[in-house]
Amino acid sequence: MIGKALFTASAVAFAAALAGLQADDAHAQDVTLEFVVWNYSLETIQDNVAKFEAENPGIKVNVTDYTWPDYHDTMVLRLRGNTQTDVIYGGQDWLPSWASAGWLVPLEEYFPEVTKYEEKTTNYALKDMTYNGQLYGLSYYADIISFVYNKKILDEHGIEVPQTWDDVLAASLKLKEAGMEKPIVYEYDQELPNFYDAFVAQVYGRGGDMFDADLNPLFNDPESEAFKQLQWLQDAFTKHQIVASEPHETTIIRAMNTGKHAFTVVFNYVLAAMNNPADQPLAGEFAMAPMPGEAHATLGFAKFYAMTAQAAEDPARRDAAWKFIEYMGGGDYKVAERWAVEKGLGFAALPLFDDPDVQQAWSTWIDMDAFKDQATRAKNGTWTEWTGIWSAYFRPLLAQAMVGEASVQEVMDAGAAKWLEYRQLLRGN
Amino acid sequence: MAAAQRHRQYPALWALPALCLVLAFTVYPVAHTLWTSLHQVMILLPGEPFVGLANYRAVVTGPFFLTALLNSLWFTLFSAPLIVLLGLGVAHLLLARFKGRFLVRAVVILPWALPGAISAVLWLWIFHPSWGILNLLLYEAGLIDGYIPWLTDPSLVRLCVVVAHVWTQLPFAAVLFMAALVAIDPELYEAARIDGAGAWQRFRHVTLPQIKAMLVVLLVYSTLVAFTSYDLTYAMTGGGPGTATTLLSFQIWKESFSMYNFGNGAAVGFITVLISLGFIFAILRALPSDLFGED
Repeated sequence: MIGKALFTASAVAFAAALAGLQADDAHAQDVTLEFVVWNYSLETIQDNVAKFEAENPGIKVNVTDYTWPDYHDTMVLRLRGNTQTDVIYGGQDWLPSWASAGWLVPLEEYFPEVTKYEEKTTNYALKDMTYNGQLYGLSYYADIISFVYNKKILDEHGIEVPQTWDDVLAASLKLKEAGMEKPIVYEYDQELPNFYDAFVAQVYGRGGDMFDADLNPLFNDPESEAFKQLQWLQDAFTKHQIVASEPHETTIIRAMNTGKHAFTVVFNYVLAAMNNPADQPLAGEFAMAPMPGEAHATLGFAKFYAMTAQAAEDPARRDAAWKFIEYMGGGDYKVAERWAVEKGLGFAALPLFDDPDVQQAWSTWIDMDAFKDQATRAKNGTWTEWTGIWSAYFRPLLAQAMVGEASVQEVMDAGAAKWLEYRQLLRGN
Repeated sequence: MAAAQRHRQYPALWALPALCLVLAFTVYPVAHTLWTSLHQVMILLPGEPFVGLANYRAVVTGPFFLTALLNSLWFTLFSAPLIVLLGLGVAHLLLARFKGRFLVRAVVILPWALPGAISAVLWLWIFHPSWGILNLLLYEAGLIDGYIPWLTDPSLVRLCVVVAHVWTQLPFAAVLFMAALVAIDPELYEAARIDGAGAWQRFRHVTLPQIKAMLVVLLVYSTLVAFTSYDLTYAMTGGGPGTATTLLSFQIWKESFSMYNFGNGAAVGFITVLISLGFIFAILRALPSDLFGED
């Protein structure tokens, strides 16, 4: 009798376990994540995703991509419209507003183990992925904005690498006199978030800042470095006519490789593409220099994998999303290493600085010491709940001032007034 | 009596499905836009309180509205008449009998079939200041000494976007004009010839009255398309340089999705609707036709 009862109990337990296993299996099989990215090197993204899927047979990842200029606005539409979105590329400038809107969740709230990555992450990247003291993502890449020049052109004209913006002007005028129509090529598109970032990097180079510690605008003071830099840009565009504009980094790469320009300011990884001998005729001629100015500082930033609140609501999607985020942005950093080696993307993971594959790959297109020096001088931007929307307001004004459609004072005053208006609206002071 | 009443109800019943669609896709969105424009609808702020005309005041006194409005008006006033006039000319040419005319007609319609973003890329390759084909041709022909900054000079870029827009819309106008032209009774021309009318008189007194309704339709359509144009200009210039090509439609998007202020975006949207209505009435007054039962 006891034997029969035991048998029955065992059978029931086995059946229950089997059912549980099947349920787990079915549960795992059911998870499809919506991963939304901007379309930089989409084939690499898809390959990374395919590898993740192969290692995690219960999880399927759909990749949706938008162009970089459209990404932010489209994501706002998507997240506000509650379109299924689980893991996204996040940006340092959007994190406070998207987190406060309730669209993103702090990873450490659900997965406390994420904090183990903090000590392996560069300081400025960590700050960019943190909001209200909580970590919201693992890094896709972290980079700096660099001042890039053509070594060969400067050598041929006996020009020293510029140390200040006055030096850049003097060098440009000398090149112009020698027949180079527009020695500077500038990534000029008010729709790009990095249009503002590049300006901030130049302000940091001069040793200035956009805001004080209490979030008061500094840039509308004519004595501020920001004001001086915008005036410098306006003069360069309109008075000296030494600046050509290009709408995107991809066209900057092409333009620099025509040999018609000597200087530009771009994301550092763009230098890797410029110096790629496979498809660029002047590869090897380009180098980075410390951002001109007294401080030689620049803007450092991080883009990261973040989880949406929608994904967090569903335990199955939440767990799958975490697995995916950790695979892409954590673990042994093989994905970050791949981006660094193949594309020259900067990284937030400290272990990669000593990675021999990364060092070898990077040595083909950049002076690693110069990069490290610039990276150590990198500073974060000032990112508040309203920085993203304020930047969208301020960028067209910046663009207007650069080409002389508005005065620097008008633009800076309008920008400062709007900043204070948003601050009052969102923080009440 | 009851049968007559039933018959009177039929038109309303038949119109009901169409009316439902109009209510769902026209009346409701416009009403919702009006409602949004009168409330503070900002993603980062809780609640949606009524703010009266504050959103309208904010956008109208802001630094971008007037520029966007003038850009849109400029863009519309240049491109809409050009599309209609050139469309009529192209239609005349395409109706001529020549070898390969069917192939030419098919090719001419192509720009209209292309999505705006693709047309924008094509025109970027033409106008690009550094490596555009237009500068290359002008330079090779010895007509210019240095490259012209087509897309970075605020005055030139306005011209470039009009050219690109006209190019994309021209085929549609030409095809509709062709349809209107072939419908004209040839006997009218014959009679005019017998009466001694020259080419201009035949056009003035025969062609024009016959295609007037089509002309009004196309002028209204081209005006509205130009005034609410978005994709082509955005993809070509991003609204720049500066705000040189920022149009009202683009400003709606920016206020709503870049600055998270749907109240302001709706206010710009509603102003755009009102101006569009103004355009329609102005055109109908200037060019009365029997299109809407007028004389």
